[in-house]
Amino acid sequence: MKAPSLGEFEELVLLMVAAQHDEAYGVSILESLEKQLDKKVNVSAIHVALKRMVEKGFITSRFGGITTDRGGRRKKFYVITAFGKQALDQQYSIRTDLYQQIPEISFN
Amino acid sequence: MKPSPPYRALKFLRWFCREDFIEEVEGDLIEVFEYQYKQSPKKAKSKLIWTVIRYFRPEFIKAFNLSPNSTTMYQHNFKLAYRNFFKYKSTFFINLIGLSTGLACALLISLWIADEQNVDKFHEKDARLYQVMHNIDLGNEIRTLEWTPGPLIEALDQQMPEVENVAAVFPPSVHTFKGALAHDDIRMKASSKYVSSDYFSIFSHPILAGDKDQLLKEKYAVVISDQLALKLFGSTDNVVGKLLKWEVEGFSGDYFVSGIFESMPSNASIQFDLAFNYDLYASKNPELNRWSYNDPCTYLTLKEGSDVKAFENKIAGLIKKNDPESKGTLFLRKYSSQYLYGNFENGLEAGGRISYVILFSVIAIFLLLIACINFMNLSTARASRRIKEIGVKKSIGAKRSDLVIQHLMESVIMSFLALFLAMLMVTLILPEFNVLTGKQLLFVFSSEFIFTVLGITLITGLLAGSYPALYLSGITPISIFRGSSINSLSSLWIRKGLVIFQFAVSLVLIVMVFTVSKQMDYIQTKNLGYDKENVLIFNETINNDASYTSFKHQLKTVPGVLSISSISGDMTTGDRNNTTGIMWEGRSEDNLVDFSDLVVDFNFFETMNIELLEGRAFSEEFNSEKNKIIFNETAINQMGLVNPIGQTVRLWGKEKQIIGVVKDFHVESLYKTVKPSFFRLSERGMNTLVRIEQGKERETIEALQDIYKEKNQGLALDYQFIDDAYDKLYASESRVSILSGYFAGIAILISCLGLFGLAAFTAEIRLKEIGIRKVLGSGNTQIVLLLSNEYTKMVLIANLLALPIGYYLVNNWLGSFAFSIELKWWSFVGAGILSLMISWLTVGIQTVKAAMINPVDCLKDE
Repeated sequence: MKAPSLGEFEELVLLMVAAQHDEAYGVSILESLEKQLDKKVNVSAIHVALKRMVEKGFITSRFGGITTDRGGRRKKFYVITAFGKQALDQQYSIRTDLYQQIPEISFN
Repeated sequence: MKPSPPYRALKFLRWFCREDFIEEVEGDLIEVFEYQYKQSPKKAKSKLIWTVIRYFRPEFIKAFNLSPNSTTMYQHNFKLAYRNFFKYKSTFFINLIGLSTGLACALLISLWIADEQNVDKFHEKDARLYQVMHNIDLGNEIRTLEWTPGPLIEALDQQMPEVENVAAVFPPSVHTFKGALAHDDIRMKASSKYVSSDYFSIFSHPILAGDKDQLLKEKYAVVISDQLALKLFGSTDNVVGKLLKWEVEGFSGDYFVSGIFESMPSNASIQFDLAFNYDLYASKNPELNRWSYNDPCTYLTLKEGSDVKAFENKIAGLIKKNDPESKGTLFLRKYSSQYLYGNFENGLEAGGRISYVILFSVIAIFLLLIACINFMNLSTARASRRIKEIGVKKSIGAKRSDLVIQHLMESVIMSFLALFLAMLMVTLILPEFNVLTGKQLLFVFSSEFIFTVLGITLITGLLAGSYPALYLSGITPISIFRGSSINSLSSLWIRKGLVIFQFAVSLVLIVMVFTVSKQMDYIQTKNLGYDKENVLIFNETINNDASYTSFKHQLKTVPGVLSISSISGDMTTGDRNNTTGIMWEGRSEDNLVDFSDLVVDFNFFETMNIELLEGRAFSEEFNSEKNKIIFNETAINQMGLVNPIGQTVRLWGKEKQIIGVVKDFHVESLYKTVKPSFFRLSERGMNTLVRIEQGKERETIEALQDIYKEKNQGLALDYQFIDDAYDKLYASESRVSILSGYFAGIAILISCLGLFGLAAFTAEIRLKEIGIRKVLGSGNTQIVLLLSNEYTKMVLIANLLALPIGYYLVNNWLGSFAFSIELKWWSFVGAGILSLMISWLTVGIQTVKAAMINPVDCLKDE
């Protein structure tokens, strides 16, 4: 079976999920992504990425407890799976590998 | 207090979003919203709405198949419909042919009706565009005229603030002045009208060249159509300012082109190529300053928001105010309604072409109904074949509504298949249909047309399916499996009733066709009081009387020309001047006889073969024939003169001696009685009449053409045979006659198809009965009689119903003619017998086949 692909935006979301281990949910990811990337992100885009990655098996989810915030709606927390971590590692190694192959270029 | 997010957006989200996602999505949305709300409530709201919309994507939308069964059901229904069509091919084809012919007729008719209704509707100001009409009270009747007093436009323009623009047009209605037009060496005939300067502001004929406001400011200006410009100058560029030579009696001269208008579209009821200045016409007719002189047509546009009724009341008495002697009142008619509602009776609108529109709409509806009935009858008759399917479905738990939907679907599928075929047929027939109706109809796929077509098809499908669906779905499964008869008495009666209805409609159409074609025959062969064969009528453009006389003499020398005369107006349309200005001895005050004024040349009565009852005709052997007058029979009767010859009457104040009385002849359509007329002499009428020897038409006309060309500076002879002109008068009647013939044929065909299917089916289910009867000694003839008896009864009942209706309808139609055939009983009996024969023929093949069967074949059971 071909390994599922990981898109650019998906990768960013997955990194966020991994970074906020066990505490990542839609809005927290949104906020930190916006801070990191310094641009507006629509929450629907994050949800789409999350759903796709759940389907691909990169992350799993669980519901949090009921609070009075959020109109009484529970949060859904996401956790990275081993498979997801592996995908991140692979992506990372490919990137660094390639990066190191760049010859010394001077731009002056 | 927490801010509340837009409720509708969330409601929408909850409606479409997957249940397992909704809590998370909504929670996150609200959190983001609350956070953003602190910065800008407005932005937060719009942002939320936008985000909700962005969730509307496949990943988040839930599966809407509430019960996953329903799509499978529809697929199943489709499959069943498809299988049924294939299994019972004959039924399928009968239905398909019936429905598609019905639909094709309906489509053609709806195209035609749409075209009829569009005539004259293209003017931008159509909603405010009116014609001023003129009612004259003649004592015993009110006559409605299109022409109005000359000073009227000025009065309307200056005294009526409601009027936006007003224009006078002469000659009235569809008539035009035909004259010869010359430019360089091109000479041709063209039709013209005199219009006053506001004409082009009232009617929307796009001006292609020239200043729209200055078109008819100059007396000798003329505005021409682009087609004429192309013919004369070869282009529409740089034509403005060029000179044209125009030759028509009294107005010949040079005119300059002040503008070009786009030729009138074919759905304009009034067509002409040249628009001259009405002021020029008025300046040569000082009579137009009198309120008692009616000549031009008056058209006007009212200002937006004007009260039409109030305005009408205001102008009603305008003539009497200015001319106390007048018996006329004015009223308005919407310009675009003149085409469909052109007739007036006693001062009131009395239909017109609209009656044909209604007639054909009704025919279209009935044709579709007949086709629907076929479907109903065949599907209910064949119920027994599908009864097990219905029983099984019901026992498994199908609801009645499911079955209704299934059968309706089947019929709608059927009707859409039929639509496809019907479109094909219409495309093939359309050119022929155009020839027949004299129109240029096209299949234009406008949204309006598509909606109409889809609407008609859907309604047809639902109608056709309604009864079978309700009937079949209502059968209880118990009775199905117990094997009791499913063809209950009531359904049998409904089926019979429907067949009777079909035949009744066909019969009414047959009666109509019979009568209309008889009346057409009558019209074409009626003795009009003159001999319309072999007489040519044409007008000429010779500019002085002397050369006209020599032209006449030259024509007379042509071998084959029997005699020559002329007449004002023409022989067939009854379009001529009328006057009440005749005084005679013994005339009572209130006896206002409205005479037709016919100006004729010597030899008129000889040329037209009109019989003289008393006295003599105008003759060149006598002097001062211009002071003589001839009346027709009706005129003498209405005047109440005894021994009229030698008496004198005063026509417009001048004494005239009566020298003859002629037998009545028809110069008007047969819808009208012969009008009282008088004849006075002029050696030159508007139209020349030439009687030609029979059998020598071709060479004589050729010779006439040569002389005509020579005397009319190269103009080609544009002639008409009077009998052709006469036939043209009744073009719409003969169209109805032909079309109703076709439609009646189609109605019968569809009905017979249904009957054929029904007969085949009954023969099939009664096969065992027939077998037993034969075994017990019944003969073939008896069986044929047994089987056809039922249908004979139905057709007879249809006869009983249809003939009175048919009688009433055709009697009404004939009543509109002053001269018509008498309805004979045998034409109705003939229609009845015809329908009976047709039904026997249809049923016959089936019954004979059933009767010939060998009992062994149908009685043995495996």
